Formats: sequence, C-alpha cells, structure tokens
Amino acid sequence: MKVVQISFLLASRNLWRNYRRTIIMLVAISVGAWAMIFMTALMRGMVNEMLRDGIRSLPGLVQVHNSAYRDDPSINNLVSMTDIEIETTFAAAGIERYATRVRVPAIISSERESRGVTLLGVDPLRERSIEAVGSVIAEGRGLESIDDNGIVIGKKLAGKLDTEIGKRIVLMSQDPDNEVADRGFRVVGLFEANLAAQEEAFVFAGRTVVQKMLGIDGRVSEIALTGDDYRNVELLLADTRRLMDGRDEVLSWQELDTFLGTMLGVMDGFVLVWIVVIFLALSFGLVNTLVMAVFERVREIGLMLALGMRPSGIMLQIIFESLLLLMLGLSIGNALAYASVIPLKDGLDISVVAEGMEMFGAASVLYPEIQVNDVVLANVVVLTLGLIASLSPAWRASRYEPVKAITKV
Amino acid sequence: MAVNIISRLAWRNVWRHPRRTWLTIGAMVFSNALLVFMISIQFGMYGLMIDNTLKAFTGHMQVQAPGYKDDLKMRQVVPDAATLAEKLRSELKLDRISARSSAFALLSSEDRSYGVQVFGVDPQYEPGVSTIPGLVREGRFPTDNNAQEIVIGKTLARNLRVETGDELTLLGSGRDGSFAAAVAEIVGIFDSGVPDFDRSIAEIPLGFFGDVFFMDHAAHSIVIVAPALSAVEEYRPRVEELLSPADGLVVHDWNALQPGLKQAIQADISSAFFMYGILVILVAFSVMNTQLMSVLERTHEFGIVMSLGVTPGRLGRLVLLETGMIALAGLVLGALVGGLITLWFGYKGFSYPGMDQLAANFNLPSRFYPQVTVLTLFLGPVFVFAGSILSALYPALRLQWVHPVEAMRSLQ
Amino acid sequence: MSAVRCVDLCKTYRQGDQDIKALDHVDLEISDGGFVCLSAPSGGGKTTLLNAIGGLDKPDTGEVWIAEQRIDQMSKGELAALRLSQIGFVFQAYNLIPVLSARENIEFVMQVQGQPTALRRDKAMAILREVGLAGLEDRRPAEMSGGQQQRVAVARAIVSRPALVLADEPTANLDSTTSDGLMALFVDLNQNHNTTFVIATHDQRVMGYAKRLIRMLDGKIVDDIDQQAA
Repeated sequence: MKVVQISFLLASRNLWRNYRRTIIMLVAISVGAWAMIFMTALMRGMVNEMLRDGIRSLPGLVQVHNSAYRDDPSINNLVSMTDIEIETTFAAAGIERYATRVRVPAIISSERESRGVTLLGVDPLRERSIEAVGSVIAEGRGLESIDDNGIVIGKKLAGKLDTEIGKRIVLMSQDPDNEVADRGFRVVGLFEANLAAQEEAFVFAGRTVVQKMLGIDGRVSEIALTGDDYRNVELLLADTRRLMDGRDEVLSWQELDTFLGTMLGVMDGFVLVWIVVIFLALSFGLVNTLVMAVFERVREIGLMLALGMRPSGIMLQIIFESLLLLMLGLSIGNALAYASVIPLKDGLDISVVAEGMEMFGAASVLYPEIQVNDVVLANVVVLTLGLIASLSPAWRASRYEPVKAITKV
Repeated sequence: MAVNIISRLAWRNVWRHPRRTWLTIGAMVFSNALLVFMISIQFGMYGLMIDNTLKAFTGHMQVQAPGYKDDLKMRQVVPDAATLAEKLRSELKLDRISARSSAFALLSSEDRSYGVQVFGVDPQYEPGVSTIPGLVREGRFPTDNNAQEIVIGKTLARNLRVETGDELTLLGSGRDGSFAAAVAEIVGIFDSGVPDFDRSIAEIPLGFFGDVFFMDHAAHSIVIVAPALSAVEEYRPRVEELLSPADGLVVHDWNALQPGLKQAIQADISSAFFMYGILVILVAFSVMNTQLMSVLERTHEFGIVMSLGVTPGRLGRLVLLETGMIALAGLVLGALVGGLITLWFGYKGFSYPGMDQLAANFNLPSRFYPQVTVLTLFLGPVFVFAGSILSALYPALRLQWVHPVEAMRSLQ
Repeated sequence: MSAVRCVDLCKTYRQGDQDIKALDHVDLEISDGGFVCLSAPSGGGKTTLLNAIGGLDKPDTGEVWIAEQRIDQMSKGELAALRLSQIGFVFQAYNLIPVLSARENIEFVMQVQGQPTALRRDKAMAILREVGLAGLEDRRPAEMSGGQQQRVAVARAIVSRPALVLADEPTANLDSTTSDGLMALFVDLNQNHNTTFVIATHDQRVMGYAKRLIRMLDGKIVDDIDQQAA
C-alpha cells in the first residue's frame, strides 16, 4: 500500500513538472468532455422532447386496440369491452392513468374549406390524466365533460379552415354500416401543440357525443394507458395484457410508433459512439504526453528501479499520472457542460429551422437535458479507455533496465 | 538552395521522435478518415433526400396563387391552368411541366370511408413531374383527362378494402364551397414506399377533378421540373416573365415549397459541423502539444543557432514548416484512409441498426452507398490541416521570447 | 561470512565497432564489515563491477553472491527486493528524484519497504541531522547545491542501515570538509553497525579511509592491498 501511496505522490507531482504540456492536455480533455456531455444533452433534449411529443400524440405508453385495428383503423374494429366494463376492470386493478377514446378518420368542413382529420371522442378528465395532446388550450375553453357538445380543434387547423371560436363546423365520418355519419359542432376551444402537424391532425369532442353520432354507444376504439417512465413499460404492458385477457391487442409505444422506438435506440447508440470517437481523438494526445513524460524521466525511473522499486510501482506511477490528468480534465469538462446548460434552461430557440426539425418530429425549441447516466457513461468510458491507453507507455517505462537508464545521457 | 537546407532540417527534426510524430499523425489520420467518411455520407444523403422528395411530387418550382402554399384553400387558384401550362411548356422548351389541383375529400368504398387528399393531375404530363404515375403496381395510370377514374395508394386501398375495378365515392366541397360528389372507378394502385403517400393520397384526371370540384378550368398549381436542380435559379425569372401580371400569380422554388427539407439539412449540418469542429480542435491541441514539446526540448540548440545570428522569426518558420510537414502527412494519409473506407462502403453499402426506420422519414433508402468526391475528400482534412498550423503558432511565437544565452545555459 | 563474492566475472560492451572488456575474469571476495575502495582510471571497470554487485547489471559469465545468495540469476522482482532490503546505493549523478523533497527522497526506500509513516519520518529527520542537512528537509533537489544533493543521496543509502552500501564517486561534488564529514559517517557505520562499504572513487582522501584498496585496469584487478595490515 505504501508503494501505491508513493506512486500516487510521484504521479501528482510529476503532472505539474511540465505544466504547459499538462495544461494543453487538460484543455483538450476538458473540451472533449464538455463536447461529449453538452452535445449529448442537446441531442437528448431533442429526442426526449420528440419522444414526449410522440407519446403525447399517440397518446400513452401502452394502447389497447381491437386486433384488426392497426391494419384497418376503422369504426368496425372496436375494443371488445364496453366502456363500462373497461372502467370496472381497470378500477378493480387499481389502474388510474388511462383514457378510453373513440378514434375515427373524418372530414371537417367549415363554410369555406374541408380537411381530413382524426376525430377523437374523449373523456376530458381522463385525457388530462394521461397528458394527451390537446390538453393545452390556447383560446376559448377545453372540453368540460364526456358529453360536451362543443369541439376543440388545433389553432393551425382553425386558420386553414377560416373558422374561429363560436363558429360552426361539420364533421363527416362513417358509421359501422358505412353510412355517412355527420354532425355539426360549435368550436369552443383551440388547442396548441409543440408540433404544427398535431394541431392540424386532431379534433376533440365529448366521447358520448361522438359515440351517438357514429352509432356505437358504449364502445371505444382504443384505451391509452400511461406511466412515469417511457423507458420502462414492461410492467404496465404485462398488467394490461393480463387485464385484457388476450381479447385485444396490447402494444407498447415502441411497437405503435416504430420510428419513435427506433429513435430511442439510435440515440443511445449515438451517445456511445460520440463518446468513443471523442476519446479516440483525445487518446493520441494522451498517449503522446505519457510517452514524452516517460522519455524525459528515463533516468529517475532507472534510479527508482535501482533503489529497489518494483517495475509495477513504475507502471502504477504512469497510470496514476494518466488517470489524474483524465480525472482533472473530466471534472472541468463536466462542470463546463453543466454550466453551459444553465443559460439554455429556457430552451434554445431553433425556430429558423422549425420545419426542418418537424421533419424529424422535433419541436423548434431545444431544451438540453443532462442525463446522469450519460454523464456516468462518458466519465466511465473515458477513464476505462484512458487506463487501457496508458498501459503501453506505462509498461514500457517499467521495462527499463536500471543501469542503462541511469547511465543514459 | 537555402530553402532546401531548411526543409531538410525540418524533415530531420520531424523524425527525431518517430513515435511522437506518428502519434500526432495518427490523431490527424483518425480524424481525417472519420471526417471524409461522415461528410461523404452526409452530402450524399442530402442530395438523395432533396432529389427523392422533389422527384416524388413537389417538382423544382410551382406556379400558384399567392397564399395557396400555406393555406391550401380551394379558392386560391391559377386560372385557365391548362393554357398557361401549355404556354410555359412551349416558351421554356420544357416538357416536364404539368397543372395540378387538390382537394380534401371523403373517399368511400362499400364498407369503408377515409378522408384523403385528392389530386387532379394531367395524365399526359404528370409522369414528367412526379414519380407516382410510374409507381402504379396494379392496374394503370389514367390516360384520358376526363375519365372518371382514380388511382390510390396501397395502404389506402387496403384500408378501404378495395382493388382495381371497384368504385369509390368522393365527397367534398367545391371551389365555391358547395357540395361536391362523384363516383370513380379505381384503375390503379400505387406503391411509393412513402407511408404518408400510400395512406392518404388519391389522384384523378385533372379534367374530371375540374368537373367534380367546380374548378372552371382553373387549377391550384403548375408544377415545373427544371433540367437540373441547379438550373432553378436560371429558370425562375423566365417563368415569372411569362405569367400575366393581371393574374397576380407567384412562383415558388422547391425551397419555399418544402422549407422543411433545407432546414432539416441545415439543422443536421450545424449539429454535424459542431461535432467536426470539436474533432478539429482536439487534433489541434494534440499538434500544439507535440510542437511545444519539440520546441522546449530544443531550447539549448535554438540558443546556439540564435547566437550564431539566426533570427527567432526564422526559427518560428522552421517550426511551422515542421508542423506543415506533419500536417501534410496527416492530410494525405487521412484522405487516403477515409477515401478507401468510403469507397468500400460505396461498394458494400452503409447501414446501421434503425436506419431503415429513420431513413423512410426522409425519403431515403435503408442502405446507402456513399460516394467520394473532391469536396468530401478534402473538406474535413483541409480544416484539420489549417487547425494544426494555427495551433503551432503558439510554440512558434514563443521563440520570440527566447534569450540565446539563457537558452544555451538550459539543460540539453 | 562474505558479504560479496564474485567468481570469474566477465562483461563486454560494444561501443561503436569496438568491444570493450569492462570486466575480464574478475574474482573478488569481500568479507562482512569490509570497507573497500575500488580505484581505476575512467573506463577501468569499477562502475561496471559496482553495478554487477548491486544486481543492476548482469555479467556475461561468472557468479555474483551477496550474503551467500547467488544474485546473477535472480529475476527483476527478486533483485528489487534484495536491493530494497540489503543494499544502499549512492550513484555518481542523478541521484535524487526531482519531484521529491530531501526528506521524501530519503523516505522513498523506506516507503517502498512499507515502513510506517511516523517511524520513517523520524529516521529521515535523524539522518538528515547526521549528514548536516537539518533544516533543508523540505527543499527539492533543484534548490540544493551539488554537495547537499550528494549528502541526501548518502543519507538515503544508509538510512535503513543496509548490510551493504555501494557508492560510486560519493565525494565527487563535495569540498574537502564535507567529504571528511561524510567519510567519518561511513567509518562510524562500518565500525558500529558492521556495514560493508564498497566505494568506487578517484579521491585519494577517500582511499585513505579504506581498509582494503583494490585497483583495476582494463577490467582486471591489478592490485589488492590490505591497508589495515600496512
């Protein structure tokens, strides 16, 4: 243990012997560590927001549909349980954060314009519990109850339809017999969403009103359930599957929106690749610094060997020196990354490329998110690979012949 | 001759510590190879993304009524569109110009109804401006401008539970807001591979569209494909000249029609270039470190030559020359390695897990074949080269403060 | 019992295209408590012999025994352990570790040996006083004169009371007063602790302290004088 102590002492003193070189290397490591964490925070912010937006628009982490619904999302493919059965089943199982919804394709027409939309018959209270899109009202009021007669549409859609709060619009869809089912609604509220596409895609009305209009009393198209962590849906999925008892299709958000599901995996992969790439770019400088340090200290390394220090003690010194350098650089880099995220707390406005970001399914304000596991990953990867990279110079140093090292001029 | 001696001196100095020099070159080669590969993929993808997106439907330019692009309102029309399209074709000597209209309609089969966007297209000229007519996998594309025929996407056909030969009912609102309805026979089903298109697009002949939606010879846009994307700037004023001022029409280029496309590319470029910048900076630090070491360990030697009358400026240039040699080696080797890797992927195809999902969102294939161009081969390495030279300025300039006598006294 | 025994040692170096015989069939035995000076012109083989005895350098042929242990076939680890526990070294130059203070340099060997902190500090301070460096314990080598550095090196070599001290020109950078002080210290250790000394030197004054004087030339022992007898 004493050898470890003296090796550590020597490493920490040696680090500052050539302070210019150490500082250059420290700056490089700090910049690298900062870039690792900052860039990851930006990308995480974007992707997490994307996932949250995507999950809000699905909505939920898990959904239940008729097994034919995904292939043929029509009025004929409804959930096998009635809404009352669902309510009793879920209440008995203690599940609270879910919503039952009627979801059909429809045409919405103002006096002037028509658009294709998705009509959702919802229970407004339940919608809020699953944080579904449409809950943020920009103008007017939200739906108040399950049998609210009004309709809430997106702000963008209102513009395109040339309509406004208080005006009437007509919704047209089909009933289970493929007869045209239509009904007039008064626009009571306009909702806002992060993505323009969502404001144009969805319109919301009271669930029983829509059920009556379509002639499907007591039946719904989907059950949406949510939980706290989108990375962990297995439990919720299993619970719901058990409740539905094999009658309907129960899918997680990754299966429902494969683009989003893939995105999360790709993002995790990207973070690791980015960290490793930065490290590799740094590693050449790191190894170079160590090689130079060893080269300059041949004589004293020889001396220490001559005095009876084992080669492992020499190796330990070089490795400690490398780890100290890395840890210092990482600390500065981590601190910088945290500091540079602070001014961006209110989001980084990238609305100049808003429509481009929308192609990715991302919003136009970026909120950097530093995730602890990313930071841990970055630091662990750098220290581990740094240790491996220092092995070669350390090994070379420990192999010097003391007498040659001492007499070397 | 002097130049020769100096460069020979520089070259020898470079190889005093071969291991150190190789490590520095290694950092450059690593970054350069990565940059060449990434930039080749990126630029290739941008090209494909623009091309595939515009080719599918948008074209390079469109003539529209002002405001139509954003509002897509039925009454924002190009009057007498067929005549104008013909005029443009003959005056510009371009074939690939076609008039197009669009409306939202409820499409009903016997047992299903879906709201979709119905496009009125000119059967004769549409194949020149859009790939959809060519992607009809079952049946055919309409040929008669007035036929009561319709072509729909694969997914839509499945959702409607129809096949070619079946009839569909169209319900919507006409240009004047009045009720529009018609029955059309499905003559073709297309498979574009783009989920949005396959799910929510139907095309009918332009003449038929005019009748159903009361267009009165008007259409919503005239789609123009220039001989090349780069020719858009040249053709745009010529198109504008041919429009009659009374109609108050406007010409939008692809960038205005698909603002997301360029912005997505910009967003991607800026994040990618941030990352490339970091790489360049890290390499620069590596070079700075090496060159500083090489200057510091030669302090004694520099002291001697300075006392012989060599100016610090000259020694500074020597250090820069040495850096230049190392950086040039890094550039050449890096471009070579990067080029070879890119060529290999250009031959084998490049893909990563999840790419098929992401690529589809941007009209890209799931396997990509990057190509090496002069730009992609040297853009990254040139920045690394410049960064290396810049970073050597610090050690080179430090020489200005070296005092010959003190330098000689310092340990060798 | 012999502290050092060398049997038929040979060692050849190549320098340029010339072979130099640094040790040429050297036989030598030094008994416990010996005080031996090796003297030779530059290149005479004294440093090589010293290094071979210390296990720093392996002879081409022949045997080296330290305290009845054959060391020329030991592994690096065994040699390190041997040097640590039984031999103190004073080298010609570059004797000290630049980043450690005088006291830390002296403690270095003890620390590697694993001695407790308080004990080795006391020992280091005591030996610093003995070699006349009290008050300089916190100086780094760069802050000391050549003589002071050499005294720190000597202090380090003798602090653990090794059975054998090998010194290569220990007085090279010292003035005569300091040299005498140092030699008095060596003599004291030799007499009171039975420490064996092997000192390679040019210095006539140092040779005067030796019980036995060995002269070498071209890798051979040419003269072996017992000065006690004289």
